[in-house]
Amino acid sequence: MQSTGGSSSSLPCAVSAGLKAVLPGLPGLTPARDGPASGCGARAEPRGSGFSGLSTAKAGRNKPREGRAPRARGIPGTVPPAPGKHSDHRDPPARHPSDRGAAGPRGQPERLRPGAAPAARGTRPARRSWQGRSERGAGAGAGGRSGGAAAGLMLPAGCGRRAAAALRTALGEGAERRRELERRAARSRALLWRWDDEEEEQPQPGSSTEHEDRPSPKELEELELLNRALEKALKVRKSILKTPLEAQGATGKKWAGEAHAPKKAEEQQVPVPVQDIHECRKVRAGSKKPLLLKKPSPYLLRAPYRTDPDMKKLQQKVPARCVSQGPRIAGKITSKGMTSKQGRSHRTATGASAREVCAAAEPWETPGLSESAPNEQQSFSGGGSTVGKNSIADGKQLLDAGKKSCGFLGESSKKEDTAGPWERSISLGPGTLQEKGCQLKLPLSYRKAYSRNSRAWQRCRLYQTSADAAAARTRFMERIQTTFCSPKLSLSPAEIEEELRGLQDVFSHLRQYVEAEPVDPPTLQGEYESLLTLEGLQSTVSQCLQKLQLLRAALESQLRLCPDCIGDVGSCSPACVPARGQTCDSADMLAVPLLYYSSLQELRDLFALKLQVSMLHQEIAIQKVMMAELLPVLEPRPFLEGSAGLFRAIHTQLCEGGRHFPVLVRDELLD
Amino acid sequence: MHGRRRERHREQNREQNREHREHRERCPALPAAVGALCRALPPRARPAPDTLRRAKFDRPQASLDFWRLLYVLLKQIHGGRWTESDAIGAQVSFVKAVLWYHGYGRPQLQRLPADGSAGSRELLLAFSWLLHSLGLLEQLLARNRVQTGDEASVCTCEDELPSSQEGPGEAGAEDRVDVRYLQWLNGRLRLQWCSLHAQHQEHCKLLHKIHLFTSGSHMDQNLRHFSVTETDLIRQPENCKQLLQLLESETLQLEAFLEWKQLEAVYWQWMETVLDNMAEEGNMCESQDADVEKRRLPEVTSSCPWVDKLTGQMDRLSRDLLALQEQLQQRVAQRKAAWWEKVAAREELQKERFCATARKVQESVELKLRGLTSLRAPRRNRMHGSGRLVLRSTGAASRAGTAACAQEAAAAVSATEVLAELQLREASLQRELQQLRRECRRRLDGIAEGLEGVICVSP
Repeated sequence: MQSTGGSSSSLPCAVSAGLKAVLPGLPGLTPARDGPASGCGARAEPRGSGFSGLSTAKAGRNKPREGRAPRARGIPGTVPPAPGKHSDHRDPPARHPSDRGAAGPRGQPERLRPGAAPAARGTRPARRSWQGRSERGAGAGAGGRSGGAAAGLMLPAGCGRRAAAALRTALGEGAERRRELERRAARSRALLWRWDDEEEEQPQPGSSTEHEDRPSPKELEELELLNRALEKALKVRKSILKTPLEAQGATGKKWAGEAHAPKKAEEQQVPVPVQDIHECRKVRAGSKKPLLLKKPSPYLLRAPYRTDPDMKKLQQKVPARCVSQGPRIAGKITSKGMTSKQGRSHRTATGASAREVCAAAEPWETPGLSESAPNEQQSFSGGGSTVGKNSIADGKQLLDAGKKSCGFLGESSKKEDTAGPWERSISLGPGTLQEKGCQLKLPLSYRKAYSRNSRAWQRCRLYQTSADAAAARTRFMERIQTTFCSPKLSLSPAEIEEELRGLQDVFSHLRQYVEAEPVDPPTLQGEYESLLTLEGLQSTVSQCLQKLQLLRAALESQLRLCPDCIGDVGSCSPACVPARGQTCDSADMLAVPLLYYSSLQELRDLFALKLQVSMLHQEIAIQKVMMAELLPVLEPRPFLEGSAGLFRAIHTQLCEGGRHFPVLVRDELLD
Repeated sequence: MHGRRRERHREQNREQNREHREHRERCPALPAAVGALCRALPPRARPAPDTLRRAKFDRPQASLDFWRLLYVLLKQIHGGRWTESDAIGAQVSFVKAVLWYHGYGRPQLQRLPADGSAGSRELLLAFSWLLHSLGLLEQLLARNRVQTGDEASVCTCEDELPSSQEGPGEAGAEDRVDVRYLQWLNGRLRLQWCSLHAQHQEHCKLLHKIHLFTSGSHMDQNLRHFSVTETDLIRQPENCKQLLQLLESETLQLEAFLEWKQLEAVYWQWMETVLDNMAEEGNMCESQDADVEKRRLPEVTSSCPWVDKLTGQMDRLSRDLLALQEQLQQRVAQRKAAWWEKVAAREELQKERFCATARKVQESVELKLRGLTSLRAPRRNRMHGSGRLVLRSTGAASRAGTAACAQEAAAAVSATEVLAELQLREASLQRELQQLRRECRRRLDGIAEGLEGVICVSP
């Protein structure tokens, strides 16, 4: 009868007095937005407890435990476990530690079952007290329910798996897109950075770390380590004023090394931290040892809680990242800082030193400013000597530049002012795109090929079919169409599809109109108008219905003609093939489409909106799957009491997109 | 009956002879036309001109080539993946299905054997039909255009979502699934969208920078700046070769297309002779058979996903429409009753003045609803495909209002337009989602009532 593990007993059906909020709504639990520091402080511990919860759950799985679970704090099935190990959250809420903490709930659901960790994670003091009551209640009246509650969170295998598969497919697709995008961004970044370091780093295909669907035991262990590290980091943070760099370096490193560690890279990554810190210290100590580090990792110096593991990864790949990454550092580095950082970059010799600059720029946001300047200078000279292809003079200049930029650290507004030998060689020598972009020339062979190509396109587009040819063509088409067995003028399946899409559009507008109609217009005139509108809408609706009937009939007659192998049409039914008659005429098809945009903002809006649209599209598809799979789970009645948790979870999922929770209130007055 | 048919035969023979004469007159042009046509097709699908000639005589050795040709071309148009080694049976059924989808209704084609061993002439006809009705060459050229620019799709058609598959490595089949696992996945999905958004934003920034920094460098006055690819060319000229090859082969294809356009007429005449040949060989009776067969065909009970999807959509739409109709009926009835009451009460008072306003109101309502009906008409050309992103500040745009610009104008889209279209799309998707959620809420509220002693307070 008792719970079989974790926190399942907390199913809150058992509140004694009157009307009690059983399941308090916890909006915004997932990506919490409270301040970083407070967030960490508040969460470090509960997360730890989450792990203990986890271990009990593991144990509980093997042998059903007697008695109530020790730490029944969470509400099972209510707190949607926030995504874990999610690498690059660049949006403010996502970058927040609370999300990283969510690594906890990433706990393997099988192991968690009957789940403890995800629930335990969400614990907040306020709720804890309430939970206490619930436990008492459970003891008193509803002890039997808790077991049922745990079971109540389970979905039948078939529908649960299908629902999960839908989500996982969506995730996989998104991961694909992210990789592609990352690949492109890396390429652009490389172009915007200095041009002379290309032999050093080529943009690699984006992060290949698949987020697996379930965390491996190893990862769970790492998480536990991570939690400890976090706790340590908290302590360290307090003493940060004393030795800011070292402390941050150490913890940050630990974090990075442990938190992320994609499966493959693990072996090579884990040892890195020690070495890195080591090297870093050396440099700071003034050692002339060349910077051999391929990954001197800017994150090294960042406060641990702002470390974005994925960001780190990217930086390893492409140093230029630093430039673009600026604004993501929680706005700590002002835009001013960014531009000047970029300016400074001209003087750096290699990607390595450039990275160092970025790294050094980071402490700007920390109290360690005074130390960072020498550090930077070091790295500059280090970078110069490493490359070795620079002359001594250049090296000197580098050093000067380094000094200059140290000065810059003090006064951030200082702008790029040196010309030096750098800018002299325009298209061959090093420099950034910004400097020499407008003097660049494409290779002659390309220019030739390009203009020949675009002339050919132009000619094709402007070509007018002769009347002779058009007539011959029409004659053939007419003749062949007389041999078709489909009735003349009937719609092809493609056209049916297109027409249906049009009807759907009309319908959604219709509904919008209906909703917009005032229920009770204030004036007589308004009333009249509304009456007319409604009547008009009514007739449109019946027209639509008629049209739909026609389409149905057309489809049926087409199906009668269809090949027996129709199964394949499913795979070929085109999403984006403009149907016949809809096609822009062939000349238009050949025109080189240009998409003019006028400002960065417009470009951003464009992409944001496109993304939004495809997100909605996906959300709708998922919603449909969920509706089909989850609703039937609840519908058979009489309703089991224990499934209140399930009800709530499904409600959240289906009605709120996982964002809000309904409140279930136990109405004891009934008794 | 017999007489009539014979007469028709004779007539056709006469016609054929005429055409043969014509054909012979222009004969030298025909190989050139066919050759140009073949060269205008994408390299990977390019048939030997001989294949077409053999197909005319319905040679079985050409049929495999022809199935493959159509398969590859149609796969490209429909954006599907394919390999050289796809089974012939699959190729045949795919081609048949796509032709059916586009409304090609020759029963002879559908009756061709599935092993691809025969029917090259039928396929030649189908190919020619596609050439015109789909604008096959143009579509292929446009689709396979070599990308030298930074492109963004301007299409608001949504992609087909890949259908979800249950991986084999799933939790043991009998295992039940924790609902929290779903929640967790859902949270991850949302987070992924967030990071995608951030990535997009960053990408935009980078693109814009590259466009801005290189402005004025491009020799094409419509573009004026480099794309990422082009900038990369300068940095790494050794990568140029491949792109050059692509561009050059595309240019050749385009030139072949132009040549084809000039010789097109010959080809179509030739195709007519193919039709004649077929008629001669007595396909007439076959078409009669087809009529019979059509009547004999049973009701289709197919479980094809495409058909299921379509009928599902139709069912849903009709359900929604009926519900809306009912709702409207109620509201209209209510409104009417209220209206008559009021009018009766104030009749004397307002008669004169109201007539004028009534007319005005009618006009405005008509205007309002016109938008709705125009939607139903075949929709205006939606934008499809993708366009090369070109930065043009508003100032520059007005300055560059030259002839070159005007020439391109047909194909140029401004981001504002695309944005507007996207906003519409977004709004309608949002509505759809809200509606689905409302439906869920309704059903779940019903379920909640069945929960004993627990009251559900929605957020």
